[in-house]
Amino acid sequence: MAKAHWTERLQRFDRRWLFLVMGLAIIVPLIFPLGLPIKPGPMTKAAYNAVEELQPGDVALISLDLDPASTPELEPFYRAVVLQLKRKHVKIVVTTTWYQAPPLVERWIREAIEQPLAPTYPGYDGAPDGAYKKNVDYVYLGFREGREATILRMGADLRQTFDGRADDGTPFDKIPMMTGIKQLKDFKLLVDVSAGYPGAKEYVQYVQSRYGLHMIVSTTAVSLTDLTPYYQTGQLDGLVGGLAAAAQYEKLVGVTGTATAGADVLNAGHGVVILAIVLGNLVFFAGRRARKRGAA
Amino acid sequence: MKKTAPLVLGIAVGLYACAEFYIPDWHVRWLTQELQTWGTILAAFAYILGGVNLIQVNYPKIRRRERDWQYKIVMVVAAGMMLAAGLKWHKLYQSGEAGTVAIADDHGGAAAAGKATIVIDAPADVMVKVGALPAQPARDAAGKPATFVVDAGKVPVRVYNRIAGYRDYDATLEVAPAKIATVSVDPAMLWGTKGRVYNWLYDHVFAPCNATMFALLAFFVVSAAFRAFRMRNVEATLLLGAAIIVMLAAAPIGAWISDDLVDLGQWILDIPNNAGRRAIMMGAAIGAIATSLRIVLGLERSHLGAD
Amino acid sequence: MTALPLIDVIGAWLGIFLTFCILSFLYKDNPFYKFAEHLFVGVSIGYVVTLQYQDTIEPTLISHLTDQWWKIFPLILVALMLVKAMSRRYAWLGRFPLAFAVALYAGLAINAVAQSELGAQINFAMHDLDARKVDLNTADAKTLGGVPGMSPAIAKKLIAEREGHAFSSVDDAVSRASLTPAEQADLAEKRGGLVGLDAKASVTPGEKDWFGIASNVLLLLGLLASLLYFYFSLAHKGVVGRVSRFGVWILMIGFGASFGYTVQGRIALAIGRALDIQGKTVAPEDAAAVHGPWAALISAVIIVGGIAFWELRARKKVTE
Repeated sequence: MAKAHWTERLQRFDRRWLFLVMGLAIIVPLIFPLGLPIKPGPMTKAAYNAVEELQPGDVALISLDLDPASTPELEPFYRAVVLQLKRKHVKIVVTTTWYQAPPLVERWIREAIEQPLAPTYPGYDGAPDGAYKKNVDYVYLGFREGREATILRMGADLRQTFDGRADDGTPFDKIPMMTGIKQLKDFKLLVDVSAGYPGAKEYVQYVQSRYGLHMIVSTTAVSLTDLTPYYQTGQLDGLVGGLAAAAQYEKLVGVTGTATAGADVLNAGHGVVILAIVLGNLVFFAGRRARKRGAA
Repeated sequence: MKKTAPLVLGIAVGLYACAEFYIPDWHVRWLTQELQTWGTILAAFAYILGGVNLIQVNYPKIRRRERDWQYKIVMVVAAGMMLAAGLKWHKLYQSGEAGTVAIADDHGGAAAAGKATIVIDAPADVMVKVGALPAQPARDAAGKPATFVVDAGKVPVRVYNRIAGYRDYDATLEVAPAKIATVSVDPAMLWGTKGRVYNWLYDHVFAPCNATMFALLAFFVVSAAFRAFRMRNVEATLLLGAAIIVMLAAAPIGAWISDDLVDLGQWILDIPNNAGRRAIMMGAAIGAIATSLRIVLGLERSHLGAD
Repeated sequence: MTALPLIDVIGAWLGIFLTFCILSFLYKDNPFYKFAEHLFVGVSIGYVVTLQYQDTIEPTLISHLTDQWWKIFPLILVALMLVKAMSRRYAWLGRFPLAFAVALYAGLAINAVAQSELGAQINFAMHDLDARKVDLNTADAKTLGGVPGMSPAIAKKLIAEREGHAFSSVDDAVSRASLTPAEQADLAEKRGGLVGLDAKASVTPGEKDWFGIASNVLLLLGLLASLLYFYFSLAHKGVVGRVSRFGVWILMIGFGASFGYTVQGRIALAIGRALDIQGKTVAPEDAAAVHGPWAALISAVIIVGGIAFWELRARKKVTE
């Protein structure tokens, strides 16, 4: 039997070698980082500026709509924005609409909101933040199932949605920072950290347009292109999409976190995929030409 | 009747949900909130039914020793463990009191005029935060309890375990000058969704498995890029060309190559991407409105199943 | 900070071991992967059942059964869902809760989608195609902040500077004394005639941004062409066919951008696992206690050895 053309052999070779190359592309830059500079883009800057406009004593809502899988892209933004809010002495209300999130959200609150964040960033020389006290500086509302129905309920009557009390059972009437907070529009800013459905799109569709909310969104890279039209129309005040944008946000806040470390790896990862596309097409077209010549 | 009655219910609820947007009366708002609450209850119960279904589907497979039956046992046992961890067992044996406070005179103590002393008697594996002072472990390296000299008056004290699943002690003590307040706390382990075991299983089984399942996609995307993405025509070439530009522009290497590349990537997002997305959004919106109207008017019955 | 308890160190090792069990699927489906997969599914089901009951059912239904009589209705709907799962004969009763939920969400979606997806998007699409450069001498702080290279701090300084002496050119504005060298470098980096500072800002009022106008025209034409592609009541022939083809090209560029970001998203997920194993996502003291890379190595050795043994056994069975 005639030996297959080299292009056919290449197209059929074991894909596990490609997995190995990808694995190395991820591990090697983590051990030997390139350290390329990170330059913030316009949508990320707009999100940062929206938070910078808040004044001490303002109340912001952070909706953590995510699962453990999306933490590499979203947790760095969350930490950076919490540091930014805390050093501006903005009060924080936290909630989630994803059932996979509550234990993760509670840990993130303990680590980032109840403790000073600044010391956890090596080399940070900006304004420090403090430890926020539960039901004084921050409130955790908890989780309610219902997806867009829950978002709609929060938009119309936040207190009724959560039975008039925080997740630990404290009535809202006994929490001074919740005075005057009855609906989503009573928050000066809504920060949605969104991994998919329900999330940013549902907030925009069901409450942002209806109540004219100020919203910034941090989302996974996969969802970014779906949300850019909302940013362009002004329905979103800022949009941070993916690990690279989270690294940009870290730079704006003045910290070096896991997104900055991860953005370095993206260089190699993207390079491998681009190389795979180019090589795959070269092999394909070379094979097609060889087949045409053979047929002729 | 078997299909008509549910359909009539659907039409009534659907028409109401559509009309409530235009009626600013508080009764209507109250009813809308209530109906949305019922919707969330049904959505939550659907997940619980999923758990019931797990047993319904897998128990016969285990009994009949079908293929991979041993793994089904792992699955059912794991579900049972998580369910058991999610029950609030601590309510059966815990009093609910997080800690006790004893006040004594500070005879010959180091407290200056107007100051009081707070001593925290707690295990070494808990953290303490008194007033505005930074949090610290409840015992030092030598095992001595943490002691704080504070201004007399109201002092917030928090004793907590930095690992999730324990009852915090969080109170505001009123201490008079030259007094010692000894706070004895041993944060009790909790069960239930805020409990130790539940959170341990979430952090060390659910979270890593959830994350790694999705991480597999990074490897498959490279394989797909080599084997499947072919520039067979103009459209495919445009797609892959835009993808390559955006991939380079999004990573830091794009700015290192050229700022113009980054600007081009942003322009692709702002103009062609948004033009196409907006068209898809509008088309999908019209489709969603049409389908929703069909459901609300009772013309769409496929979700009710066959007779 | 207190030391990480031993049980949590063991938990971290378990997490790393399960990570490698799942990654072993890249070689092929094997007992380690199957074990991890079934363990994950079981824990997920147990997790979601308890959470949904305690966080939704209990506070919104069970706790209000005595003081809100109307909660009997959702209780009935829930009971009907259970009947559907338990009985074939009365399964049709499950149509009531299903009809309720589907119709409710459909009714809510109509207005929401019409307002945000149609209304807001059409409103934006109809806006003026004209694009003007930002006048550095008169623009407010927010508008100035949106210009390439600017930040709110730079915008504030420029507003203060122009009150003393108006800007005569963009070069004049970016070289004012109150700007720090770092701020001047930021602005210099964004100079550019097409999409940069010089394209978006000027010192004369009403100056046109020609590339911006061309982009706005392309945005509108691209939208209309893409919409035409989805219009199937007209045959896509002749002029309609050519415009529709242009719409396809616009859509393909958008999908390409989507694909590019999807690749980034997928790689980020794998980066997250690698950072977790390396110990970069926890406090340094906890990372030192866990020794993540060593745990990873030992897990990999166990799994590779186990799979090799499993493969050998399978081959022996085949030859026998």
